[in-house]
Amino acid sequence: MNLVVVGLSHHTSSVELRERLHFAEKMLPGALMNLREQLGDAGVVILSTCNRVEIYASTEASSGEAHDTIRKFISDWHKVPESEFGEALYEYDGRETIGHLFRVTSSLDSLVVGEAQILGQVHDAFLVAQTEQCADKVTHALFQRAFAIAKDVRTRTSISAGKVSVGSVAVDLAVSIFSDLAGKTVMVIGSGKMGEVTLRSLVTRGVDRVLLVNRSQEKAMSLAERVRGEPLPLDALEENLPRADIVISSTAAPQYLLTPAHFHRALRKRGNEPFCVIDIAVPRNIDPAVKKMDNVYLYDVDDLQSVAAANLDARRQEVDQCMKRIEEGVDQFWGWLQGLVAEPTIVSLAANLHAIRERELHKSLNQLPNLGENDEAVREIMTALSKRITNSMLHQPTVQLKREVADQDPSKVLAFAKRLFGIKEG
Amino acid sequence: MPIVIDIAFYAAFALFATATLTSFLYLRGDKPNMLAVTQRAISIAAGLLLVAFCLRWVNYGRIPLTTMVDIVNLLLVMSTGIVLMLVRTEPLRPLVCYYAPPLAALSLMNVAIGFKTLHEAPKELDDVFLAVHVGLAFLAYALFLIASLTSAVYIVQARRLKSPLNTARTAKLPPLEYLDATLYRLIKWGYPFFAITLILGFVGVYLYPDELGVRWWLSAKILFAVFMAGLYSFSFHSRRLGLLRGQKLAYVMVIGFGAMLAIYLLLSVTNLKDAGFWSSAA
Repeated sequence: MNLVVVGLSHHTSSVELRERLHFAEKMLPGALMNLREQLGDAGVVILSTCNRVEIYASTEASSGEAHDTIRKFISDWHKVPESEFGEALYEYDGRETIGHLFRVTSSLDSLVVGEAQILGQVHDAFLVAQTEQCADKVTHALFQRAFAIAKDVRTRTSISAGKVSVGSVAVDLAVSIFSDLAGKTVMVIGSGKMGEVTLRSLVTRGVDRVLLVNRSQEKAMSLAERVRGEPLPLDALEENLPRADIVISSTAAPQYLLTPAHFHRALRKRGNEPFCVIDIAVPRNIDPAVKKMDNVYLYDVDDLQSVAAANLDARRQEVDQCMKRIEEGVDQFWGWLQGLVAEPTIVSLAANLHAIRERELHKSLNQLPNLGENDEAVREIMTALSKRITNSMLHQPTVQLKREVADQDPSKVLAFAKRLFGIKEG
Repeated sequence: MPIVIDIAFYAAFALFATATLTSFLYLRGDKPNMLAVTQRAISIAAGLLLVAFCLRWVNYGRIPLTTMVDIVNLLLVMSTGIVLMLVRTEPLRPLVCYYAPPLAALSLMNVAIGFKTLHEAPKELDDVFLAVHVGLAFLAYALFLIASLTSAVYIVQARRLKSPLNTARTAKLPPLEYLDATLYRLIKWGYPFFAITLILGFVGVYLYPDELGVRWWLSAKILFAVFMAGLYSFSFHSRRLGLLRGQKLAYVMVIGFGAMLAIYLLLSVTNLKDAGFWSSAA
C-alpha cells in the first residue's frame, strides 16, 4: 500500500498556473472517479483551493507509477501539457505524504501561517471524496488523523493567535478597549475601500449603529444603504463625534479633519468614555497629537500594519512547536499504516497456525479413551485450551512483525516472515 | 490548638507563594491551565487564614482584631474574597494572576510579623460595636487595595493599547472597559463601607470620650482615615460625574494607595500610629 501526493501551491507556482489547474467544485466528482479508475481502485482525495492543487492517493501501485498517473491525469483533465506545470509540481510518498498533509491541514504551509480557512477546505475536499466513495480505509484514517492534529495544534499552540490583516487587527484592538462591540457606535469618515473593509469586520463583531460621514451626500447614502447606516454631511462631524465609540477615517482630505480640540470637547460631552480611532487615510486625517490624549486610542495605518506583522512573526515562532506535534502524529500514523501492510501476512500466519491447531486437536480427541459423543464439556475445554495456546504464541510474532515493518523495508521483512513460517500467500 | 494555627497560617503562605509561581507560568503563555490552579490556590489559602483567625478567636475567647498579624490576616482574607468574587466574570479571570503576587507579598510580610507574634493573645475590644467598626474599616481597606491593583493593571493595559506591539499581549489582559467598570464597582462598594466606618468611629468617640483624648481629631489613625475618606470620596464622585476616568483615575488610585502605604509605614516606624500623638493632653 502506497500513499502519495502530487501537487503545486503558492510556494511553487504562480496564481495564473493555479487557476489553469484548479478543479472547480462541480468538476470534482467526475475527476475523482476518473482518477480512481486510472489508479486501479485507489483511495483518492483532490484538494483544490486558491493557494494549492493537491491530489492524495492510497494505491497498490508503486510510488513512481502513481506519480506518473496523477501527473498525466492533471494534464489530460485540464488539457495543459505537462511541460507547462511539471517544474511547479512536488511529489511525495510514504511518510512525506503524511507529514505534508498534516502541515497543510494545520495551516503551517499556508500563505498566512495559522489561518483557519484551510482546515475547512481540506474537510470539504475529503467530504466530496467520501460522498463519491473514493475515500478508502487508508485515506479515511489519514484525513481523520490530519483533522485531529490540526485541532490539537490550534488549541495547544499560539499558531492562530493575533490577527494578521489590517481590518482584523483594528477589530482586535477595539475589542481590547471595549469589552463587547454590541451596542457600540462606529463612525466612518469618507468612503475609502479600506474603511469599508474595516467597518464590515466591526459589523460582523456586533457593532449595531453606523454613522457615515461624507463630503458627498450621494456617496454617504450609497454606503449607508449597503451597511444600513445613518448618512451625515461632513459639517455634522464634530456635532456627532461624541455619539461614536469607534471612529474610522479614510478620506482623501489633505488636512487634518479631527484635532485634539475636537476630541477634548467630545470627551467632555461623553463623560470621558474612551474612543478607539482608526485613521487609515494617507495623508492622515487625524492629528497625531490626539495619540497623547487620555481615553483616546488612535491607530494609523502604520500602527496596524506593524501589529499585523508582529502577530505574523509570533505565529512563525510557534512553527517549531507545531512541527514537534506533527512529527509525533506522523510517527503514529506511519506505524499504523505499516501495521496495515503486514496485516495479510499476519492473517495468513494465524490461519496456518489455527489449521495446525484444529488438526492436532482432532487427533488428540480421537486418542482420548472413553470420550463419548456426549462429553461436549471436555471437547469445549480442549478446544478453548488449544485456542488460547495458539493465540498466545501468535501475539509476539504479530507485534514484532508490525514493529519491524514500520522500522525497516516492509517487503524484505514480510518476505523473511513468509519464509520463516512457510506462508505461501498474503 | 497552637500547632493547628501554625499549620494553617504557614500553609496559607505556601499556597500564596505557589499561586505566584503558577501566575507567572500562566502569564508566560504556555500553561493555560495554571489560571485555574492559581484561583484554587488562593481560595484555599484564604480559607486556611480564616481557619487560623477563627481558631485564635476560640483559643483566646476574644475577636482577634488588635494585633498586627490578625489585622493583616483579615485584610488578606477579605482581599482574596473580593478577588475571587471579581474573577467569576470570564473576561476578568486572568486578573487573578496579577492579584496573586501582591497578595503573596502581603502574606510574606505577615509571616515575618507572625513568626514572633502569632501566639500573642489579642487585646480585648470593649464591645461588638468596635469589632464591627474595625471589621468594616478593613473591608474598605481591602476594597481599596484591590482597586489600586486593578488600577495598576488598567495603566498597563492602557499603555499597551497606546502603542501596541502585537495583539497577543493586549489580549492577555481584560478589555479596558471591563477594568474601568471593575474599578468603579470597587470604589462604589468601598466608599459607603468606609463612610459607615467613619460614622461608627465618630459614635465611638462619643461613647468612649477618654479613649482618644480631647483633640482626638489630631490622632494619627484619624488623620489616616480622613485622608483615605478624602481619596475615596474624590475618586467616587469624580468618576460618577465623568470628570475623571481611565488612566487619570487609575493613577489617582495607585498614587493614593502608595501615599497611604508610605504614611502607614512612617507612622509604624516612628511608633506614632497607636500613640496618643498630640491628642493625649486632655
